[in-house]
Amino acid sequence: MKLLAVILCAAASLSAQTLQQAESLWKQHRYEEANSAFRALVAAYPRNADYRVRWGRLFLERFNAQEAAKLFNEALEIQPKQADALLGLALVAADGFEAQATHFARQALEADPHLLEAQELLARLALEDNDPAKAAAEAHKALNMSANAVQAKAILATIDWLNDKRDTTWDPHNAAAYETAARIFVLNRRYEEGIQLFRKAVALQPDLWSARSQLGINLMRLGQEAEARANLEMCYANQYRDAATVNTLRLMDSYKNFVTFKTDRTILRLHKKEAELLHPYFESEMLRALATYDKKYGFKLDRPVQVEVYPDHEDFAVRTMGMPGLGALGVTFGYVVAMDSPSGRPPGTFHWASTMWHELSHVYVLNMTNFRVPRWFTEGLAVHEETAASPEWGDRLDPHVIMAIKDHKLLPVAELDRGFVRPEYPAQVVVSYFQAGRICDFINHEWGWQKLLAMVHDFAGGATTPAVIEKEFGIKPEEFDKRFMTVLTAETKKTVDGFDDWRKDMKKVAAEYKDRDYEAMIRDASGLRDTYPDYVETGNAYQLLADAYLEKGDKKAAIAELDRYAKVGGRAPDTLKQLATLLEEAGNRKEAAEVLDRLNYINPVDEELHRRLGDLYFGMGNTAGAIREYQAVLAKSPTDPAASHFNLAKAYRSANRPDAAKDELLLSLEAAPGFRPAQKMLLELSK
Amino acid sequence: MKLLLALLLTSVASHATTYYVTVSGLGGEPDYEQHFAMWAKDIEKSLKPAADSKVETLVNATREQVRGALGSIAKEAKPQDALVVMLIGHGSFDGYEYKINLPGPDLSATELATLLDRIPATRQLVVDMTSCSGGAIEFLRKPNRVVIAATKSGTEKNATVFARYWVEALSDPAADTDKNEVVSALEAFRFADKKTAAFYEQQNRLATEHPVLEDTGKGEGVRAPSPENGEGMLAAQFPLLRIGSTAAAAKDPAKLQLIAQKENLEQKIDKLKYEKAAIPPDEYKKQLAALLLELAKTQEEIDK
Repeated sequence: MKLLAVILCAAASLSAQTLQQAESLWKQHRYEEANSAFRALVAAYPRNADYRVRWGRLFLERFNAQEAAKLFNEALEIQPKQADALLGLALVAADGFEAQATHFARQALEADPHLLEAQELLARLALEDNDPAKAAAEAHKALNMSANAVQAKAILATIDWLNDKRDTTWDPHNAAAYETAARIFVLNRRYEEGIQLFRKAVALQPDLWSARSQLGINLMRLGQEAEARANLEMCYANQYRDAATVNTLRLMDSYKNFVTFKTDRTILRLHKKEAELLHPYFESEMLRALATYDKKYGFKLDRPVQVEVYPDHEDFAVRTMGMPGLGALGVTFGYVVAMDSPSGRPPGTFHWASTMWHELSHVYVLNMTNFRVPRWFTEGLAVHEETAASPEWGDRLDPHVIMAIKDHKLLPVAELDRGFVRPEYPAQVVVSYFQAGRICDFINHEWGWQKLLAMVHDFAGGATTPAVIEKEFGIKPEEFDKRFMTVLTAETKKTVDGFDDWRKDMKKVAAEYKDRDYEAMIRDASGLRDTYPDYVETGNAYQLLADAYLEKGDKKAAIAELDRYAKVGGRAPDTLKQLATLLEEAGNRKEAAEVLDRLNYINPVDEELHRRLGDLYFGMGNTAGAIREYQAVLAKSPTDPAASHFNLAKAYRSANRPDAAKDELLLSLEAAPGFRPAQKMLLELSK
Repeated sequence: MKLLLALLLTSVASHATTYYVTVSGLGGEPDYEQHFAMWAKDIEKSLKPAADSKVETLVNATREQVRGALGSIAKEAKPQDALVVMLIGHGSFDGYEYKINLPGPDLSATELATLLDRIPATRQLVVDMTSCSGGAIEFLRKPNRVVIAATKSGTEKNATVFARYWVEALSDPAADTDKNEVVSALEAFRFADKKTAAFYEQQNRLATEHPVLEDTGKGEGVRAPSPENGEGMLAAQFPLLRIGSTAAAAKDPAKLQLIAQKENLEQKIDKLKYEKAAIPPDEYKKQLAALLLELAKTQEEIDK
């Protein structure tokens, strides 16, 4: 007995000493040693849930949410209602903007009604969901638990600051609390104010590396690269090396590979491997969009807009979020737009011009409202602008949206922001973009553009969505939702009601095509095309029908089918090139050129496209177009440089630019001295 | 250019024949089966109009058929002749031996090399466009033989697309980059290589094939043949396909003087291009323009 007592005493003292040691090492930023101490502790006491939770919190702080979640779940297996473990899971979910965060935080509070951190988290989550009333209520509950709840004060102060009430009584005077406020400002796209709050945080606590890293990342977003780098390097040097910090530094190192083009209104940053090719297309489209928006929004931007184009999607993701894996195609930070390059996406999956117009709309709306605009509205307006620029642009009605309409999953307009910030199902962000866009289409159709513009100004004044709806339409948001859904349901009824049969019957049509039963296939596929006309992805009815018509030798019908495909927004380069070929064969060069020109907005990284379009333009006497396209061929270091320079020489000659023509001719003959057509032209020009 | 003239003169003097043998192997799946056969037939179509050539296409060929075709050429060909063997299909490599998959027993690189060695034609080109074809180089390489493989080693096992672009090189005038109306083995290799790389780039896929060329008889095969790595000299001299009027002009003895003059000008242009970095840009342009104009005039005379 005596011996056992000694062992128990020794174990107890080892436990206390080791936990204390682990916590102490953690506090001293000796993370590796703290990790080893926790490992030893958990090995010695495998049934102790508390040790696992603390170890999990260390992992969470040191950028390993996955391992942290694993430890929290292990703790819950040992002790099913361990409040701190539930809080840990809530924090992990909150970091990933997962809808479960609130659920876990509530469970933690049920397990321990005095768990302040969980209550403060609920306040933060409500504010992230753009629900300030709820956030304030939750924050006050936290303050009732502890008058010194700095994170609760941070939430109340942030609500005041977001409403431009500078002299708040809730100023927490605490670095971590300022960091929380800063993150919420960034979430609201109010980057400048977010940066100011991060500055306050690091001024109070210079070694608050998480805040300093975010300061650096947000400075980088706004193009203030020198200061961004200094802060990020400081974090790195002090062992704060989360993925966002490291990736951002790595990205900044790659900036030497980019080239910048400037006009009075635009700054365009392109990767040098594709700068020469993309420059004319991107710059002219930027200028066209800005001229259009100047008039539409009645707003003049006070400085040039910067567009950065990333051929590597992961670089773009780092540029925007600090982390790879972002699903978006473009992101706007005030006057800076970062977007994917068409070369960074599989051909036909990305309409860069549509994305650019979308993002440039944000530049106007964000600046007109001084960043005081709900996410649903700025996204909805940007989606609306895509199809306003061209009905063929923008996203189609996709199966996720159809299912959401069918299952009544669309959110009320007053809560639509939730669908963007904290989606409850994987496709909810996509569905929310669609819904927001259709709401703006609906307003534009029913009340006109001026009403949308009035809403922009209302939001600029700080009004909430319900208030704006009531002011502009004289109805409650619930009534607005009802009217919108009536219109949307009518528009999509055929597709939504027929969707299940469509899926089934498309398989039948594919089998008919395989069996070469073209008559039956044409009959069935035509009906399916009309049931779901927006379906332009692989295996679409348009392509099947066109193929069947070609098998039957009916080129005219094939052209008509592929023309429908193009006009409804089909983007597959091979299909559009096939349409151009058929049109050319039928003698419709102008229409063929129009089809190929569409591809310039989808996949301009294609030598054959530019050569064909150049030839068509040249044949049609459009020398300016031919020059642009032949220059694009040369920018891609073509397989046939001699012929490419010669083509450009021909175009220059037609444009009465003999000197430029001769220069190109010499380049052609330098590559291939025996090139007969070029020799012939040289003799003619030398006479 | 100097080499071209030499080849043309050789052609005039001795009426050399180029033997083309295209073999398409087992597809395994209908899609591959169809593509392999189609590419082989497309090659045949591109080669048929060529003068002084004999073309044999073996679709879904057995090992016996390949042995038979190459055996016949071995009996018929002369040292001044040329041989082009093109292999399309799937290949395998077990770390020791490469084989092209054929219906029935496969054909190994060792046996193919033996069959080729029996053919007296001095100049030979083997274009192995199958998966794992890089594994065949060490067996096929030999002085005076150009070996092109679709993959850099025997371990690149995925189905290849190089053959698709090799076919294009034989039908697209763009492959004749120096516009001398002869597509050389090197030009065709570069054309197909570039298009293969573009295919993977456009599809945003990691390239699973890296074509290589070996023509020194002792190298490993290189991605970018150049004077620096010593590869590509023989391939540049190997006329894979003649297009246009070059062949006709070469047959007219009255034009030989003009052809010699043309060759002289081409040599001067080559020299000037070589010295480009050392000459002020304006001076270079002036000299180049003068030489090119002179060359154009000479060509005009040849064409009359």
